[in-house]
Amino acid sequence: MTHTTDRRSILRTTGAGAAALGLSGALASCDTGGTGKARKPRTVTLTLWDYFTPANFQPVLNDLIAGIEAHVAGVRIRRRAIPFADLVNTLNLAAISGDLPDIAIVDNVSMSSLGGNGLLADLTSRVRRWGQAHAYYPGPWASCQIGGKTLGIPNNSNCLALYYNVSMLHDAGVPPPTDWDQLAATAHRLTTRNRFGLAMSAIRTEEGVFQFLPFLWQSGGDLDTFATSGRTPLAFLKKLIDRGSLSRACLGWTQEDVNARFLSRRAAMQINGPWQIPVLRKAPFDWNVVALPADKTSATCLGGENWVVMATSDHLDKAWQVLEYTQRPSVLVPYLESLGELPARRDLARAGAWTSDPVRKLFLKQLAIARPRRYGPHYADISQAVAEAEQAVLTGSVAPSTAASTAAVKIDKALG
Amino acid sequence: MSRRRTTPLAVRRHRTGYLFSLPGLVFLALLLAYPLLYNVWTSVHAVSLSSRLGGPEPFNGLANYRSVLTDPAFWRAVRVSALFTVGSLVCQFTIGFALALLFIRPFPFNGLLRSLLLMAWLLPPIVSGTLFRWMLDGDSGAYNALLRSTGLGVLTHDWLTDPSTALACVIAANIWVGVPFNMLLLLVGLHGIDPELYEAAALDGAGAWQRFRRITLPLMRPVSAAVLLLGLITTFKVFDLIFVMTGGGPVDATTVLSLYVYEVFFRFFRFSQGAAGALLLLTVPLIAAALYVRRLRHERATA
Repeated sequence: MTHTTDRRSILRTTGAGAAALGLSGALASCDTGGTGKARKPRTVTLTLWDYFTPANFQPVLNDLIAGIEAHVAGVRIRRRAIPFADLVNTLNLAAISGDLPDIAIVDNVSMSSLGGNGLLADLTSRVRRWGQAHAYYPGPWASCQIGGKTLGIPNNSNCLALYYNVSMLHDAGVPPPTDWDQLAATAHRLTTRNRFGLAMSAIRTEEGVFQFLPFLWQSGGDLDTFATSGRTPLAFLKKLIDRGSLSRACLGWTQEDVNARFLSRRAAMQINGPWQIPVLRKAPFDWNVVALPADKTSATCLGGENWVVMATSDHLDKAWQVLEYTQRPSVLVPYLESLGELPARRDLARAGAWTSDPVRKLFLKQLAIARPRRYGPHYADISQAVAEAEQAVLTGSVAPSTAASTAAVKIDKALG
Repeated sequence: MSRRRTTPLAVRRHRTGYLFSLPGLVFLALLLAYPLLYNVWTSVHAVSLSSRLGGPEPFNGLANYRSVLTDPAFWRAVRVSALFTVGSLVCQFTIGFALALLFIRPFPFNGLLRSLLLMAWLLPPIVSGTLFRWMLDGDSGAYNALLRSTGLGVLTHDWLTDPSTALACVIAANIWVGVPFNMLLLLVGLHGIDPELYEAAALDGAGAWQRFRRITLPLMRPVSAAVLLLGLITTFKVFDLIFVMTGGGPVDATTVLSLYVYEVFFRFFRFSQGAAGALLLLTVPLIAAALYVRRLRHERATA
């Protein structure tokens, strides 16, 4: 034990040294700026990790950081963009080696595992004093509440909806589906030799689970009753595949792949999120979006990112000031607009570009029924069990009821 | 005359030898021995993400090994790994041998074709994996398009998302990657056989098949053994190709041991079990490497 503590303290010292070097670099650059202004009393450099890697996101984040540095006294931001799939791993490994960032923007699904492992700083009292909790949609806000503590602030939100090719539905003489029966019938009607009626992702990762959970919730089920309630959505999707309305290749598709099928008109409808809107706007055909078809109830899965502060940060106050700054409507609206993301705040629903855009408005409306994946620190095990059940059923190797009860054993164990 | 001379020459030579190999030894100790020993340490302690952040990490003996060995997913991965390795090795070696026999003969464009074949081996596995993933896609893949355009539409298939074909497809991709390597080494071996042997045999009336069976095969045995052992070591730890092509799916049809260990480590953060699994995974290439080294020594001794 002493061995590990020693090692960690050494790493921490080196980390502090590196930070100090970075800091002096930042100060030096201030000096060479030579504006003649008196230097701020104390400048700290905060590191920020996120997964906004696409090229068109970079100027937006640079603007945001410039804004932070101009308005939050004595703060410099050093940002590192890490590919989406690696961010949580990198954070976990950084926790072990002792060089965590101060602030991160993480997928809301990873809140439970990061929080459960004690990586995230408790913001409860700061948020209470701030007093703006009521401004957020309940789903995104709930995704930041772990074990009775507030561990983050929503950055932006998204959810899933049903995109459809307008002319394909028009030619077939069918309206966009609103319930499961219609979804099955419409998908069947729209399937031809060259295209499938519906495209969605059933890949063996969280992405596939993100797309599966709405079906589970719509049928009135949830993960704690998966043994009995898992059968219905699994059987429904199996039926879509058996009738040829949904390609079995969806077992290997990411949501990007799904969108590519829709764009190349190999799918008449697709389940996808608002982040595809900019790409789809360039499509040479008309498309539109409706809410996901309902079964017993309406539901969609909440996606999006949260701002978190790492528990190991030495500058919790400064980090909180940064978070607080990013949530000011005057900052948040232009920032989210240029990212093409939707706000997690109800009070901004009538503020930005999303008010005049019917597609974004539709997604915004769905946020009210979007559920967070808040299933405790062992969600990774649950997610794998669900993905494997779905894959086993859709490949036809296991019956829906068997797959559901097999998965339920693992899920119940992970739910604790 | 002087006292310095008292150290015998042999000892001084030894000392210089150790001195010269010191950088290499330090390198090995830092980058190989330390991680390996640390892995062994992790595999017999209860190490998790939260324990790493400042909890107790008690010694728990063989508990981690027990939980890996009682995990049905581990044994499924062992089975997949065995099928993958045997399937890849047999085909890579046979096709590689056949191609080597072809390329040992002079014919036009021999050099060009040989270099083109090597491309498969030079491509990063990520690239070849992505290529195969696209080509084998059920809806828009090149293979199904080819089948459809040649009137064999009935044979089209969801190659990578059907559990009964996914493993075969991954093996096929790995064979494609590994054939050039096998061919190259076997070609070198064939070049080492004295052509006079064939001439003499031909004069004595031996046919092509007899020359192959009585001369080529026996003389190629040492090279073949080396190629197969090296192949076993590289094939058993293949990760990137499968990770890109199927990610281990559908369900766990293509989850080889290396992917299983990766998931335990980086998806579930069960470091102890991951370390135990990694050490179990290591035994196979280790045995192969030991056999290979023993062969090398043997060859040197008989040479």
